[in-house]
Amino acid sequence: MTDTPQVLFKNRRPGETAFLAEYQRSGGYEGLRKAVKMTPAEVRETVKESGLRGRGGAGFPTGLKWTFFPADQLGEKYLVCNGDEMEPGTYKDRELLLADPHQLIEGMLVAAYALQTPVAYVFIRYAYERCAQNLERAIAEARQAGFLGRDILGSGFACEIFVHRSAGRYICGEETALLNALEGLRANPRSKPPFPAVRGLFGKPTTVNNVETLANVQHIIAHGADWFRGLARTESGAGTKLYGLSGHLNQTPCLEAPIGITLRELIQEHGGGVWQGRKMKACLPGGASTPFMTAGQLDVPMDFDTIEKAGSRFGTGGVTVFDETTCMVEATLNLNNFFARESCGWCTPCRDGLPFVSWLLRQIETGKATMDDLQTLRDQLRNITGTSFCALAQGAVGPIESLLRLFGDEVEDHIKRGRCPLKS
Amino acid sequence: MVNLTIDGKQVTVSKAATIYEAALEAGIHIPVLCYAKKLLPYGACRVCLVEVEQMKGRLIPSCTTPVTQGMVVTTTSAEINKVRKTVLEFLLVNHVVECPVCDKGGECDLQDLTFEHEVYPNRFTGEKFALPTDEVNPLIERNMNRCVLCGKCARVCDEIVAFGSYSFINRGFESKIATAFDRGLNCEFCGQCVSMCPVGAILPRPFKFKARPWQLKEVDSVCGYCGNGCTVTLGVLKDKVETIRFNDKTGVNDGNLCIRGRFGYSYVNSEDRLTKPLVRKDGKLVQTDWKEALDTVVSGFAKARAEKGVGIVTGARLTNEELFLLKNLAKAMGTGNLDHSGGESYKGVTEGLFETLGVTASTATFPQVEECDTILSIRSDFYETHPVFGMVVNQAVKRHDAHLIVIADKRGKFGKLPHAETLLAKPGLEVNILNAMAQSLLADGLAITDGVEGVVELQAALADYTPELVAAQTGVPAAAIRAAAQQLAKAKKSAILLAYGLPYTAHSRELGIAAANLAILTGIPGREGSGLYLCGEKANSQGAIDLQIVPGKEALDSQSMFQAAAAGTLSALYIVGEDPLTSYPDRKKIETALDKVPFLVVQDIFLSPTAQQADVVLPAASFAEKDGTFTNAERRLQRVRQGIPLPGEAKTDYAIFELLAGRFGKQVSFTGPEAVFSQIAASTPGYGGIEYGAIGPQGVVWGGDLLAVKRRKVVAVAGGKPVETPYQLITGSSLYHNGTVSTRATGPLAVIPSPFVELGREDASTLQVKEGDLLTLRANGVEIKLAAKIDTRMPKGVLFAPYHFSSAGLNRIFTGQAAVPVEVSK
Repeated sequence: MTDTPQVLFKNRRPGETAFLAEYQRSGGYEGLRKAVKMTPAEVRETVKESGLRGRGGAGFPTGLKWTFFPADQLGEKYLVCNGDEMEPGTYKDRELLLADPHQLIEGMLVAAYALQTPVAYVFIRYAYERCAQNLERAIAEARQAGFLGRDILGSGFACEIFVHRSAGRYICGEETALLNALEGLRANPRSKPPFPAVRGLFGKPTTVNNVETLANVQHIIAHGADWFRGLARTESGAGTKLYGLSGHLNQTPCLEAPIGITLRELIQEHGGGVWQGRKMKACLPGGASTPFMTAGQLDVPMDFDTIEKAGSRFGTGGVTVFDETTCMVEATLNLNNFFARESCGWCTPCRDGLPFVSWLLRQIETGKATMDDLQTLRDQLRNITGTSFCALAQGAVGPIESLLRLFGDEVEDHIKRGRCPLKS
Repeated sequence: MVNLTIDGKQVTVSKAATIYEAALEAGIHIPVLCYAKKLLPYGACRVCLVEVEQMKGRLIPSCTTPVTQGMVVTTTSAEINKVRKTVLEFLLVNHVVECPVCDKGGECDLQDLTFEHEVYPNRFTGEKFALPTDEVNPLIERNMNRCVLCGKCARVCDEIVAFGSYSFINRGFESKIATAFDRGLNCEFCGQCVSMCPVGAILPRPFKFKARPWQLKEVDSVCGYCGNGCTVTLGVLKDKVETIRFNDKTGVNDGNLCIRGRFGYSYVNSEDRLTKPLVRKDGKLVQTDWKEALDTVVSGFAKARAEKGVGIVTGARLTNEELFLLKNLAKAMGTGNLDHSGGESYKGVTEGLFETLGVTASTATFPQVEECDTILSIRSDFYETHPVFGMVVNQAVKRHDAHLIVIADKRGKFGKLPHAETLLAKPGLEVNILNAMAQSLLADGLAITDGVEGVVELQAALADYTPELVAAQTGVPAAAIRAAAQQLAKAKKSAILLAYGLPYTAHSRELGIAAANLAILTGIPGREGSGLYLCGEKANSQGAIDLQIVPGKEALDSQSMFQAAAAGTLSALYIVGEDPLTSYPDRKKIETALDKVPFLVVQDIFLSPTAQQADVVLPAASFAEKDGTFTNAERRLQRVRQGIPLPGEAKTDYAIFELLAGRFGKQVSFTGPEAVFSQIAASTPGYGGIEYGAIGPQGVVWGGDLLAVKRRKVVAVAGGKPVETPYQLITGSSLYHNGTVSTRATGPLAVIPSPFVELGREDASTLQVKEGDLLTLRANGVEIKLAAKIDTRMPKGVLFAPYHFSSAGLNRIFTGQAAVPVEVSK
């Protein structure tokens, strides 16, 4: 199917799940074997050198995040895997866990060793029941094989992994809201500082990483930081990435490809081009909270820095494509309705501001808006940006900001004509 | 300390402060909605956003962001104001703006901010909320259409009250504050949520449509109920107390109140108040004037003096000044038969603490308990008897990870807190457990014995109280007793709490001593931040002890006075501010005494069952109608202030004592409470040097925050014997009531309107009883009937009935025991 090296998806077969035997045949748990012979600090250093950046959307350098964590301090501390994948257009973690759950388990064990956390949790979305069951089986297998539990591979290091099924809310993807949810509280974000690395789960130091991020860790240890950097096609990037295609394409696969692959390659080769012979109008490059990119930006390499330069964000690598017949106002309204619904309801700008933005967009879409309304919408974006409690509202504003920037004429057309110009 | 610049002003504050607190200290106003001093930082409303030079690019919530060295903060700018205004616009889009009919109008934070930021007209429009209001209960009304989702109600209920009645439900725009399953409010009704709500979403129903805030006269006084001594600010309209106003600046309670303090004031306005003196003529009490009443009293007492003598029994809700005058009156009348609060219940302090520590008061102050790492609470989790002090215990556990150990015969609310454990013992065996803890400390060499007298004797006497032996008696595992002792021994700051009062007559001296023994052996007395707290049931229980309202040498105490009256060896009784028929143990004895005593004078604010037996009834004043001082359970002297005039011809106890003393030839010529207080200060140990006028908003703690003890002597005391019957009845205070007067207050009555007996589910199922069924309790050949209340906190075989209600007749079977063996049937 592809000639790019497969790291996370190497055991992926349609309709099948690879468990311990198959995982080990493909070199599984070599990373852990190697890690426990290193010091935790060496493991952390290697991950830092590898340039691995968080795969959950924000792209924060994993190694750097780990340096904030008091790994050498004694006492309770936790590693938490964020498996609450609920960004619209993003489904890569599900595919990984359906295909090869040990990828995550080994990654978590290596990370837990690096961070010296005796307890780790997988916080998984309620809808991913199959994934949760796969993980539970993988944990049982790993325990039996001596990779998990007390005295892992004779190293003296002990770690337990627990699977926690989330009640399911978009906000649970925000790491501090996730910690609240994991403690059985309402999933509201916490105020930072203190950051989770200082006071996280149950008030103890905690590191939260995405599923895909953790699944990369053991490969970095097994093959080295340079190998990992070399996987990417860009100078600054590192590793491969799971991309999930969706939207108006002929095919919508989830695939593993290098960091730095172009949008064009993803859409043309892997997505088989825009459906029904139409042209592409826009895409969300990394999930619903990333600003739109246009057909003119297809040659931008898919990496954090390059996409940011192009005015959007790499996000989760979930690419959603819109064809030329799409009304961008309507598409944005649909996205914003999601964010307005999924606001935790805590802070005013997000709770009350996003529904108001939805109302404004609906006015525009239905042709009832005035130019004043458009001005109010611009104003609201500024008011919401930088005033809300967490990043949810910030993310929600991304597509709207790009709608006004990239499709301003289309928006004004709605107002001038008093109806949606794309609908007859 | 940290230096920072706010609006160009140099500010130096503690490094724990937030930007908001720093600004407040510097006198710079930052608007807030969801911030509250006593709650943890929240940061939800986004009204308090400011700019910080070092964190450019976004606005910073000042209420959650800690200060850092060199920070440069700007609190107002065009951009900030715009954002604040937008937040208000957002809140007002859906907020039902009905200020003209909203009771919060005039003191509503949203109203004030709307005015300050000139949010009119609103640029935005949207649908108004149309949620149903909660008007099910008579005390707290909730109208969530006015809510701004600041979460203060949910936070105070969890962080301070530890009840957790509220939570946010739903997401996004649909978010709202709700109770479990979004039903009507069903809680303790302390009204803490009412006091915290910045808008008109949660309001006190008794005050509905009564007044605008500016029409009210506010009078800072002290709650007349329990020994906690909370500041209550009376909201007075047209000479009536119409509400209790929120006040977190005065007193020891941080604005926290329980249902009694917040909603229990209504008895002062009651139609049933005594307004004229009554004398018995032809067997009937008839209204009369003061002259005739006083003449009758004086001649009656004079006659009695000449015969077998007079006895005086008082309650502990009189001010210090009144108690002082009463003491002088007793002297003028030539009687030493003077006692308060039933006599027995306070002996843990007057005898227990005196024998062991040489003092007769709690050794430290309430605020110190919040910082304790271990708290031992004896007989209950303390919340039932002293709720607001209980809230301090809760904060110690929740915010400072304190270990709470409760030795009790029933479970309480705090047993569910993290780090809390209840050593659930059979009734009446608390002393045994305390003894076992002391034994284990001594045996394991963990006890502090340097400079402690009586250690050898105690050790010998405790041979029968090893944790194992006590475990067999009490049902509390030996390991748990040992662990509790060790926890207390290793604590750096610890507190031992014991509430006392009328229903807790059994083993009071022994409990005081056993608690003091443990305190001494774990180094509590004199140690910074640690304390032994014996807390009285009534507003001035400690004052009555300080002023020595106790029997003189070879004189009769309260119990003996009733005994003597019943036996015909006492000629007159003068009962002030007490209803012994209802609240003292052994009603038969009291009945006989009141029946047999030739002359009975009762001075009260209501025609209580006791007053109905009197020859003369003198109408007195409630706490809201007098000036003076109360001493609370941590020795804090606080000013009681008159808020409303006396009803009818009623007089203060002060005035009555003054008149009577004059008639007994001891002219008292004080010009008022202040003059009396200077006499008290001159003659009362510990009160020396305190001036009435200098008792400020926070009161004055006599003896200082840490009371110096006179000695450290451990004394052996015998434990109780378990009651072996299948069912045993215990009594005590219920959370909603205090003494008997709360049964005349509409607030507490709205929640607990009538007497009840509480039993566990297991017993209920054995007895085939349903909630509300009448249970017959039989003991000593007497039978009483009480409505059953079924829950999970009573252990098997143990029933609990509060003592406040006269109609219950509980003291027909309760005669002062720790546990009454009862037969129970449906």
